[in-house]
Amino acid sequence: MNDTGSKGRSQNVSVPSRAVSAYIAAVLLGAVGLAALAWRVHPLSVNAPFRSDVVTLVVLCVLGVLGSASQERNVGGRIGFSFTSIILLAAVALLGPFGAAIVGAVTYLLVVNKQRPEVRLFNIGMTSAYGAIGGFVYLLAGGTAPESSIGGVWPLVLHVGLPMMVADVAQCLLNAVILAGIVRLTKGTPIRRFVLGMLGTSGPAYIGYGLIGFLFVILWVPAGVGPASALLILAPLFVARWAFVQYGDEQRAHERTLSALVAAVETKDVYTRGHSERVAQLCDLMAGSLSLNHQDTEALRFAGMLHDIGKLAVPTRVLRKSDQLSEANFASVATHAASGAEMVRGIEFLEGSTEAILHHHERMDGNGYPAGLRGEDIPLFARIIAVADAFDSLTTSRFHRDAHTVEDAVVELRRYAGAQLDPAIVAALERGLARHTWEPTRLEPTLMATAGRAFDHDDPAVSDLMVGLASGQRAP
Amino acid sequence: MSTQARRLPLETLSGVLALALTVGAAALVIFRIRALASFDLRPLLPVVAVFFVAIVIGEVFRVSQPGTRHTAPLATAAALAFAMTVESPHGTPARYGADLVVAVTAFAMAVGLAPSLVRGRPSRVSDLANSLAAITVAALLFREVPISNGRSLLDLQPGWPPYLLALAMVLISGFALTVEVILAAVVRSTRSHAPFLRTFQDEFQAASGLIAALGATGALVALAEPPLGILAIPLFLFPLGLTQFAVRRQSTIRRTYGQTIRTLSRLTELGGYTEPGHASRVAELSLAIGHQLGMSERDVLDLEYAALLHDIGQVSLTEPIPGGATVLAAPADQRRIAHDGAEIVRQTGVLDKVAVIMEAQTTSYRQVRELGEDLPLASRIIKVCNAYDDMAGVRPTPARRNAAMERIHLGLGYEYDPRVVDALARVLDREDQ
Repeated sequence: MNDTGSKGRSQNVSVPSRAVSAYIAAVLLGAVGLAALAWRVHPLSVNAPFRSDVVTLVVLCVLGVLGSASQERNVGGRIGFSFTSIILLAAVALLGPFGAAIVGAVTYLLVVNKQRPEVRLFNIGMTSAYGAIGGFVYLLAGGTAPESSIGGVWPLVLHVGLPMMVADVAQCLLNAVILAGIVRLTKGTPIRRFVLGMLGTSGPAYIGYGLIGFLFVILWVPAGVGPASALLILAPLFVARWAFVQYGDEQRAHERTLSALVAAVETKDVYTRGHSERVAQLCDLMAGSLSLNHQDTEALRFAGMLHDIGKLAVPTRVLRKSDQLSEANFASVATHAASGAEMVRGIEFLEGSTEAILHHHERMDGNGYPAGLRGEDIPLFARIIAVADAFDSLTTSRFHRDAHTVEDAVVELRRYAGAQLDPAIVAALERGLARHTWEPTRLEPTLMATAGRAFDHDDPAVSDLMVGLASGQRAP
Repeated sequence: MSTQARRLPLETLSGVLALALTVGAAALVIFRIRALASFDLRPLLPVVAVFFVAIVIGEVFRVSQPGTRHTAPLATAAALAFAMTVESPHGTPARYGADLVVAVTAFAMAVGLAPSLVRGRPSRVSDLANSLAAITVAALLFREVPISNGRSLLDLQPGWPPYLLALAMVLISGFALTVEVILAAVVRSTRSHAPFLRTFQDEFQAASGLIAALGATGALVALAEPPLGILAIPLFLFPLGLTQFAVRRQSTIRRTYGQTIRTLSRLTELGGYTEPGHASRVAELSLAIGHQLGMSERDVLDLEYAALLHDIGQVSLTEPIPGGATVLAAPADQRRIAHDGAEIVRQTGVLDKVAVIMEAQTTSYRQVRELGEDLPLASRIIKVCNAYDDMAGVRPTPARRNAAMERIHLGLGYEYDPRVVDALARVLDREDQ
């Protein structure tokens, strides 16, 4: 169907419980009943144009099977095409409720993908049922079988286009409700929440399916192209789908490349191994609590992943230094924020992240570096990264202490809220942690030994040590 | 690079040809309106106007496909449909000639180009000229070229079953768009000094999906016009809109990927491990040599990434090598840096080919000659380019350049692949001109 739908369909029902079996049986029985009713109301024309109706039925069934075979792969970015929806909708207009019920059933009966028998039965029942329902709604909404005699824009729009749209909406709703039922039984998700969620993610796509289905029907009958219209209509869609798949692959490749290379840079500093990745995850978690939009969340995640990239410009011997750091050493460490921002400048998609990288060591009291910004003047993303940074530092083991537990770390963070960290963001982190589990990072003793007594610039206590330095450094 | 010097005549040439085509077509249209009483444009005006607007909009939303191609799928499909329209609304046959199609398309393209000119975005005249040429071919084939008994396809088609007409339309579109790809390949291979056949293969591969989508959409619109009238034009362009959106997304992520790799390649420079600009200079030289040697687009991309990242292994060093020049480091150190870099890149899980190239970047060419080792061409290219840049440095004087080339020639056949060194010499010669 769409991404949500296909997930719902191919889910693993390990051992179908009695309730689930009964539900599937009910859906199947309902589908058979609807098909019988459809035959009574609007049988396939068996007389004069018999051959053409049967040809249409066969062609649509073949297309349905091909379509369902090509749609299971997740295209990524919440974009999925449902060729089956388009074909089922065309069947509604071209063949009526009975034909649509048959196309729906055959599509999932012959679907090539491997499916558990009960999932297959359920899909057959569901798709057939909403094929038939779509057909009834189409007829009720004033739809007529498109004849080649129908010409002109208005008759086509009123008697084919609009009824198809109405049938489309009905199918979308029915699909959501039947799926919600099975998900309720197997996973316990409330029906209302599932339906609303599904309408939100895939509702808009159905408008597109309606329109494309309408175009398909027009080309098939009034334009007289017949079955060959499938090739013409579906060609641009297949190309679009191909491009979306490529896009998804490249996007994943891009993210993996970025994080792997960043991880490589981290090898300079044993303490920070995996730190960037964890900060990025924490940022993601807080973005949820602060209800940032998709684009901002992405920018924040990248900023979190790259916030310490500037350390590459800090001499390794300073990063690994174990005895007391001199003021010059502190100053050298402090440059990493500015050099990090410098490094990512020029990457278009990181434009929103540069500021955050530059200012992630500012403090609410204005004693941070590099600019000594105060309170709300510090960019929001920078305040978020500061909290994630401090939290990860506290929940990671250090040579002088064990890793804090999540609860202890939160207590610590509250202590620093106000002077160093933004209390609102700390609260957002707490809300996020309430929804997700977080494991403290306990480093292996051997790793700790190689790390030696290197100091950690992210430790909130170190930030207090560095305060004096920033005031000396601040721009006049 | 000398492309600046060469681009001008090529762009001017295609611009002049396109202009001549446009003026000729426009003159023919005006002549017909003036001289032939039977030629009445008035019933066609709504169709012409909608096609005009569709082409303008399509041009405004031009997309750059992965690589350096620029296309305007919606505009091209609309123009193709315009070229193959058989019947305008109310059942009047569309009896206009190819001249009207060419003139209207050219005019609409020019209007659609205006916004990007105003915004100062670079645009290529040759891209537009190639598209116009494709539309001209389609319009001529469909409306003018006599197929049997001196009658064109447009004259022959009444009474044909629609699916046959659809087939003819798709074939004509496919042919016309292939002509466009050939022209684009000529332009591109002149620019990058790559063999024509290789460039054509790359271009055709990249364009084949869009050719199918465009051909189908052009036929769709043309076939839907009789029942739906001008409404068919926006409605049936809708599926292609999705295609265009997807292609745009795809090229954005491709560009982003490139930027990320380029930035990551600068990390070793900002960390003081390598000379500023070294990675990008090596990449640029490698790219030119790769084209020169006829590598495929996919291979050239891997080559470019490997060249950009070839020194990333240095981040694992505690202290930078003096001057960052790996060519001066001990062979064992060179190998270790190459190995560490390849390991880092392999961690991504998606750049395995790049890692293989990087791994072998220090291997001597004699390994191939004497031991029959399989050394990727890309690695050999990077080895030569890296050595050249390390020895010649930033903006070298001719004397320094000659010295660098001389040192490379000393290692010819033993250390370096003679074919690659030859290509480097040719690329450097071109830069001189």
